[in-house]
Amino acid sequence: MTINAAGRNIPDTIPGYGEVRHFKGHDRRPPEGCRFGKRNRAAFNTRRDKTLPDLKAAISASGLKSGMTVSFHHHLRDGDYVVNAVIDACAEMGIRDLVIFPTALFKVHKHLTKHIQNGVIRQIMGSVNGPIGQLASEGGFSVPVVLRSHGGRPRAVTSGDVVIDVAFIAAPTADNYGNLTGAVGRSACGSLGYAHSDAHYAQCVVAVTDNLVNYPAPCIQIPQFFVDFVVPVDKIGDPAGIVSGTTRVTRDPMRLLIARNAAKLIEATPYFKDGISFQTGAGGISLAVAAYVREAMRERGIKGSFGLGGITEFFVDMMKEGLFERLLDVQSFDLAAVKSIAENPNHVEISADWYANPWNAGCAVNMLDTVVLGATEVDRDFNVNVNTEADGAMLHGIGGHQDTAAGAQLTIITTPLLRGRIPCAVDSVYTVSTPGEVVDAVVTEFGVAVNPRRQDLIDAAREAGDVPLVTMDELVEKAQELTGPMTPVETEDRIIGVVEYRDGTVIDVVKQLKKK
Amino acid sequence: MKTAQAGTLESMDCIVTVTETEKGRGISIAMEGASIVRFGEAMLKATKDTLKDLGVRDISVSIQDNGAGDLVLKARVEAAVRRFAGVRTP
Amino acid sequence: MRLRRTKLYLPGNNPNMLLRGHLFGPDGVILDLEDAVAMSEKDAARILVRDVLKRGDFGDCEVTVRINGMDTEYWKTDIETVVPCGIDGIRIPKVEDPKDIALMDEALSQIESKARIPVGRTLIFCLLETALGVWRAFDIARASKRVAAICPGGEDLRADLKTTRSENSEELIGPRRMIALAAHAAGVDALDTVYADITDDAGLRRETEWVKQLGFQGKSVIHPNQIPVVHDVFTPTAKEIEQAKKIVEAAAEAAARGLGAVQVDGRMVDKPVVKRAEYTLQRAGLKAGGEKA
Repeated sequence: MTINAAGRNIPDTIPGYGEVRHFKGHDRRPPEGCRFGKRNRAAFNTRRDKTLPDLKAAISASGLKSGMTVSFHHHLRDGDYVVNAVIDACAEMGIRDLVIFPTALFKVHKHLTKHIQNGVIRQIMGSVNGPIGQLASEGGFSVPVVLRSHGGRPRAVTSGDVVIDVAFIAAPTADNYGNLTGAVGRSACGSLGYAHSDAHYAQCVVAVTDNLVNYPAPCIQIPQFFVDFVVPVDKIGDPAGIVSGTTRVTRDPMRLLIARNAAKLIEATPYFKDGISFQTGAGGISLAVAAYVREAMRERGIKGSFGLGGITEFFVDMMKEGLFERLLDVQSFDLAAVKSIAENPNHVEISADWYANPWNAGCAVNMLDTVVLGATEVDRDFNVNVNTEADGAMLHGIGGHQDTAAGAQLTIITTPLLRGRIPCAVDSVYTVSTPGEVVDAVVTEFGVAVNPRRQDLIDAAREAGDVPLVTMDELVEKAQELTGPMTPVETEDRIIGVVEYRDGTVIDVVKQLKKK
Repeated sequence: MKTAQAGTLESMDCIVTVTETEKGRGISIAMEGASIVRFGEAMLKATKDTLKDLGVRDISVSIQDNGAGDLVLKARVEAAVRRFAGVRTP
Repeated sequence: MRLRRTKLYLPGNNPNMLLRGHLFGPDGVILDLEDAVAMSEKDAARILVRDVLKRGDFGDCEVTVRINGMDTEYWKTDIETVVPCGIDGIRIPKVEDPKDIALMDEALSQIESKARIPVGRTLIFCLLETALGVWRAFDIARASKRVAAICPGGEDLRADLKTTRSENSEELIGPRRMIALAAHAAGVDALDTVYADITDDAGLRRETEWVKQLGFQGKSVIHPNQIPVVHDVFTPTAKEIEQAKKIVEAAAEAAARGLGAVQVDGRMVDKPVVKRAEYTLQRAGLKAGGEKA
């Protein structure tokens, strides 16, 4: 056992995961190794059509066998049909013990539960979600789930930590020689950012599309020379679950209050000036922060440089209005973002490698001024938990949390102090997802706590005069006063989840819940 | 069976239902809701303390919780018990 | 001077709002036992409000409770329950008769002395929701030293005036003017009623600007999102504060030199202008004093 830099006691080896590289600090692991990638191949002009009749034909042609690793992207979100269809086909073909390596999973993938229980799937790496997370937390897997961030995942792929045997890439539009795009088609999802590293590095790449077009496809995002096979299917997803319609800014007063506090902090810092770059999630508080910041940009005549990350209509409108020069889009959340990426050259698709990989010559998060993120819990050391819930169940992935927090000049966590009776500011988080050393401020309805290592921000906030400053200890004590003491989560010793930091070290582990 | 209820299922509230039990059966408490896994003990104590303060010895209490803190829980238990005391067996 | 730009109504049977309403930063909160609570829930709300008051965590807010009307069976139990918790004041609905205020004053004194609270601490805010109440506004405002403010009603008053809501609330122009006049004649605050459409920020701003112009000191709100709008209207702008400072400083200087006439930026300034400038600074929280606390 070793106590790592986040104060967690972690075993030196974990059954089903292997040897642990301990987290020593957010910038302490030097990169190692080289990028080589997939084995070379040649397709001569005698084969000018890569289409195969169905998924099973593609699975056979790909050489996929029991025990191999298959990958998927999550751009079709809760509307995705492809992950379930591919694993169903594998099951029918008698393939077992698969490691699935998705960029994220959604509720729709609850369907995989039976394949986990009957041994078609041995392990999940990358992300969990609700029902599958619950299953994992109760000990439903023989080997631990490995959670990686949006930047940690391409790092693991490009450095060879994870070898993808077959990448199945859902493609809203493809031609028969394997040029792919998400920008158009009935199942259009905009950016295919998370699929790029898989296309580049997987030993075999199978595109699955419901919109096969004449060669060459328009708006090509993933080019033909990465793609081995193309499978046309009836539908790759349900458009209603792929993109949301218009996202409205919340009227919920508590969220607005928290958002206003966050916006005041942003406006008080030196980053709030011409050229500011900005990232927020699409959640209620985040979007409201963006709305207040937009208001302040208009009032003070400030023009930003770029909006990053998951792009919504809100950011598209800000660019149209001239408040951003460009959007760097790893994931398009709604119809307006999908339309914009297809039409506007200033709306640029970026890969996850480009977005957040710490092991390249510089990823986009490094150029970020301000990011607004959420949390399930924060603690006295500003550590953030986004993976586990109050009952100890591991229900969420890391997303870009670690990456943007580490990259941005100003990392703001917004969270209500309480959710019902559950406190969100605690002595010590149940799981460290993002270390406190890369978090600058925690914003709640009870005030704004700035990390003491950012005295410059504290001074700027004091100077501004309208930021309700408190200390983290005050927030924790306030929460305790309101909720009373909690009984601890009861767990077994067995580790069911490994939380990797973006550099591939282990920052924390999650244990199996005790049966009630 | 004589019974009374107080509270709502709004956020940070709970519904407390109290039901008559035979004399000498003591206090039985059933709870459901998301906070119970971390606050069940505190909720039991708050409920028992309130019943004791009100001098209630035999009663069955059911709590449907939606994030109520001790303050709210106690207020709801008290309201339910006072209503119970005012209710006649139908 | 106690700033009373906003008073946020908190429904008396809603734990979420009772416990967190003050976080939205109104100048005051009104824990409501009257219209926001169904008849069947009066008992439960009273217990809940009592316990929330006992906890006493309301930040800097002036804490008042709207009790049930003095024509109901509830009002005595209401004050007996909430006044010993040490509140800043009670808000009485449908006040029509100065005698009721005198009666309330006595009842409050009894409760205060029994609860060992300084007698007279609990202020009275009168809601004038009938034509008769508005007509007697001045007498009501003078009926007890405890009266801190008088407030016009909304829907009830419209009904009593045998009229309906119009787009610009023209039907309430007269009553609002009367209340402003009576309040300042009696030396209490004039506080306006709520603006019902919680999604219409522009309408709220228009109405708030209008009542401010009439001489009101603040406005009740029913939704936290209304607070920033009302505060914005009632808070002097940086420019107004700057100008007021200049005037007050010039007046002080003139007084020190024994000069009668005050000059600012080369122009003579009258006494009322100085008084108004002082009031501006009070509203901005930069100067003590002003109307009755």
